[in-house]
Amino acid sequence: MNYLLVNLISWLIFFFGAAFPILIVLRVIGLTGFMKVTRFENYHTFYYNMNPSVKIMLGIVVTVVAALTIWWIGAILTVVVLFTYLTLKNGKSKFITGFFLTMITIIGTTWAFAPYTPYVILQEAFHNTTITGIWTWPSYFTVMGYQKELSIQGLIYGFQISMRFTAISLISLVLVMTSTPSQVLRAINKIGMPVSITFSLVVAMRTIPRIFEYIDTSVKIQYMRGLGSNAPKTIRPFYMLVGAINAIVPVIVFLVRGAKDTAISADTRAFRAYRTRTHMQPVSIGRADKTAIMMSVLAMFVTAMVVIMGFGRAIPYL
Amino acid sequence: MGFNGISGVLSAPGEIPWELVLLFFGAGLVFIFIWGKRTGGLAKFTTVDLIYIGIGAAFAVVWEFYIGAFLGKFIPSNPFFGVGYTGRLIALLIVAGLVRKVGVGMVAMFIFNLLSDLISYGFSGEPMYFMYEMLTYGLMMDIVIALAGKNIFGLRSSSRKSSLNKGTSIGNENAVSSNVFSRMPGVYLAAIEGLVIGVLWAIPEPVFYSGFIAPFLYGGVVDWAAIIFGILAFIPSALIIGAIGGVITRRIVRAVGL
Repeated sequence: MNYLLVNLISWLIFFFGAAFPILIVLRVIGLTGFMKVTRFENYHTFYYNMNPSVKIMLGIVVTVVAALTIWWIGAILTVVVLFTYLTLKNGKSKFITGFFLTMITIIGTTWAFAPYTPYVILQEAFHNTTITGIWTWPSYFTVMGYQKELSIQGLIYGFQISMRFTAISLISLVLVMTSTPSQVLRAINKIGMPVSITFSLVVAMRTIPRIFEYIDTSVKIQYMRGLGSNAPKTIRPFYMLVGAINAIVPVIVFLVRGAKDTAISADTRAFRAYRTRTHMQPVSIGRADKTAIMMSVLAMFVTAMVVIMGFGRAIPYL
Repeated sequence: MGFNGISGVLSAPGEIPWELVLLFFGAGLVFIFIWGKRTGGLAKFTTVDLIYIGIGAAFAVVWEFYIGAFLGKFIPSNPFFGVGYTGRLIALLIVAGLVRKVGVGMVAMFIFNLLSDLISYGFSGEPMYFMYEMLTYGLMMDIVIALAGKNIFGLRSSSRKSSLNKGTSIGNENAVSSNVFSRMPGVYLAAIEGLVIGVLWAIPEPVFYSGFIAPFLYGGVVDWAAIIFGILAFIPSALIIGAIGGVITRRIVRAVGL
């Protein structure tokens, strides 16, 4: 009896890490949520007035800061970046989507590290030889690479690692949400990348939200045709997953068929007739960019100070 | 902490000598250039090719960061099967099937890596990851394309010719071609070529990443027993997924009507 219970709870804990994020995706974010955070919408606040290269630079600065400093600075950065989502168009809904995406990252990363991280690394990370286990896995869990016990230190370690990623993914999405593909194209061409490569990149950037859109449409059509209509209510959300997987190949065919039209319209506008392109709107450094650059310099300065004060990266992330 | 998170460790215990890595990259590049010229796989990308590459990279990103990332959580981290690997392989196989030119693997991996940096990773550790993704996964795919030429996945021999002159018998074609592979039905050929790419793609993660890039970026000790086990354990699923991917590719490319 006891053996059964231990197994049951262990598998519940195991599936919590897998199923909880997916439930958030299916119930709260949905495919339209992904579409919202990967698609450009026109608006006029701070981020929208910035030069795309400065936005890329901001991303790099956030990466560097999060990589060099102790976890709670990453956490503060995450909160700050998340709150700037409120200034975007439909800021509230983007804030909510961003919040849940961050939650998923935290849970996912914690679960990806906590059960697996060897005690040796934990002892090194916490400068402490005692590991406090809170749950003992059944012995066969070690086949999956699990340690003997789930420990508090393991959970904290996983959480701290997640703080390194969350701010970066949030600030990176800002670039996609607030610049048009052609702005990005211009900015990247400026650093000397060939126009054919940037063209592919821009096609890819435009395609990502469209993939979510078409998968969403396809899933809805499958629902209309009765997918999952006889299933009990509790497992019905998972039919969206089934529908999404079914939709992948048709969506690829649909998008690829449209490629010829895109190619014809690009070629008729003399795409790649010359090596370089001229631009109607010059890429300039405006007031918003100057503010952003000032903020990044300040952030780097604060980082340097913080590292000197001894709040540098505290745990080995490997 | 070196430049951009790269420690630049070249002498970690067990690390592959950098000369060897460089030699593989150089030899591979020279090979695809020379062999691609012979088989006709080396050609300039047209505009529509660039769009195919963009769409394929977008699919790989959507899988890597959104759909596959969540599906992968149901499967514990294991050395036998990778959800991310599956989606990326199939997306790239489809691009390779659509474009069928040498260099498509490297360009597509470049775009994929650049997009991943823009959307999620934020350029830490670059340019090492560009080199890793392009010159291992991309290059290996290009080697297979260079070998197979424009006929990869049995595409030209069946779909193009049959649409041109439907009346001619297949027996006639057999008499002309001396190669064993040309006489094989396209589906099998697609499965075999997909399988070869699949198995080649099982190698970079353990060998190049664990054996060179990871110690180069962060230092540490290379565990060769784990690397060999990693390759051997992964190959069965790579065989199956590669074969399925090749067949899917063939279907999609024919549905698109090239």
